[in-house]
Amino acid sequence: MMNVITNNTIQCTVALAGLQNIMDPEIGLNIVDLGLIYQLDFDESEKKIYCSMTLTTQFCPMGESITNAVQENLKLSFPEYEPVIELIFDPPWNHEMISAEGRKYLNEQ
Amino acid sequence: MFSTAGNTETTKTTSWKVVLPFYGYAAIAFLIATILLLLSASDITSHYFLPHTLAITHIMALGWCTMMILGASHQLVPVLIEGKLYSNKLAYASFTLAAIGIPLLIYGFYFFDMGLYTQCGGILIILAIITYLINLAISMAKSKQENVHAFFIFTAALWLLATAIVGLLVLCNFTEPLLPKDSLDYLPLHAHIGIVGWFLLLVMGVGSRLIPMFLISKYSNMQLLWWIYGLINAGLLAFVFIFLYAASKFLFSIPLLAVAASIVLFANFCLKSYRQRIRKKVDEQMKVSLLSVLMMMLPLIILVIIIALLILSPKENVNLIITYGFIIFFGWITAIILGMTFKTLPFIVWNKVYHRLAGKGKTPNPKDLFSNRIFKWMSVFYILGFVLFTTGILLHSAIVLQIASTLLLLTSLLYNWNVIKLLMHKPASYDECNYK
Repeated sequence: MMNVITNNTIQCTVALAGLQNIMDPEIGLNIVDLGLIYQLDFDESEKKIYCSMTLTTQFCPMGESITNAVQENLKLSFPEYEPVIELIFDPPWNHEMISAEGRKYLNEQ
Repeated sequence: MFSTAGNTETTKTTSWKVVLPFYGYAAIAFLIATILLLLSASDITSHYFLPHTLAITHIMALGWCTMMILGASHQLVPVLIEGKLYSNKLAYASFTLAAIGIPLLIYGFYFFDMGLYTQCGGILIILAIITYLINLAISMAKSKQENVHAFFIFTAALWLLATAIVGLLVLCNFTEPLLPKDSLDYLPLHAHIGIVGWFLLLVMGVGSRLIPMFLISKYSNMQLLWWIYGLINAGLLAFVFIFLYAASKFLFSIPLLAVAASIVLFANFCLKSYRQRIRKKVDEQMKVSLLSVLMMMLPLIILVIIIALLILSPKENVNLIITYGFIIFFGWITAIILGMTFKTLPFIVWNKVYHRLAGKGKTPNPKDLFSNRIFKWMSVFYILGFVLFTTGILLHSAIVLQIASTLLLLTSLLYNWNVIKLLMHKPASYDECNYK
């Protein structure tokens, strides 16, 4: 969670807390602690939420479901904003992007 | 930097409509194979070249193992080559051709009729493989990434084509003399390019990507994977050359050493991936898949004994050859499929049923779509059945073979139970989902 770049608004904190409810179904860890969310910005003038994220692997069979879930989750949390999701694979996801909490969880599982 | 609708289209995976028919077909083939095994259990030790044994071997090799691998491969190719599957239509065509060709071939073997229908079956299977190869080649050509896993898959498919062509020639040679020797003489060539070239190469290519991925392992060693790839292919080419042009059986130790080295290196790759995993808990499905890596060693040991005995005496040990074949198809490859089916199919079904509901409400976990209790019982029956059947072949014991084949039939029934449960899965509220 600490690695996500945000424009430091309270909304970002709330949004990330909401996104922590989305689990990677194979790994069983939420996508924020897994390190899939790279950047989250609220644009007050355009009323948009820009979310830059990745997947553990490009063409991940669950990719569409995960991005749909992020879209829906942000819409539900902030109905007055339009979520804009961008999938990026540079840099590609790797295990070092898992947060300390995420590692602890996977170790204890 | 951002697109308004989101650029998730570029990562779209293969449609479930392409993949599920392969899974369903393979599950039925496994059930039929275990029924036929039970019916033929008492005479299976007579010789490996018997109609019923040939039929069971080909149901296992083509109907069960190859159809399952083709299905999973259509799903996994995008992950492995980091690009989309070129054509769903070609995938359907590949399925249809194989689905018609396999029963024709099996029927011919079971009743030992090597005539027109059986040969047509062989031709349809070759066309299915060519269709798959074209789809794979164009998908790879369109992908920007080049990686070792893609080379493993493509080369494996080329060896599958070679296996099928040799198989068809051997088949036609029964009715029309096309080859310089008897059909029976070419069986080792047909069998080994299939087992090593298709199954071993493909399992290593896919396994080297999926095992570290599922374990979330820190370990990665592309150079080692290229070495493994080189060793297997060099070993196979040497084997083909020695088989066709050299008389000395002692020379077979060269390809054997190359393939043995590749298996040891791959086992080491898996072990390091396992040791350096971040996710400590290993689920039942991964345990069965990892067990199959160890099971690769068994046929290798038996092959060493078979070759050693052949060098000492020209008379082949039929029992050991049957054990060798059984361990490969009912042991090593079946163990991988039993494990990997329930690592992949639940996700495919989950995507089919719930992907539009993601984030809108509570959805079940893919792992909850099948019964883990049934899976555990299936694993117990499978391991007992496998060990007992191998013992039965070695001891020539009809009663042990009957008990073991009953256990293997129970394994396939439980496997089918869980597969049907997955394929028939519907959400609690059907109207909430859009299947289109």
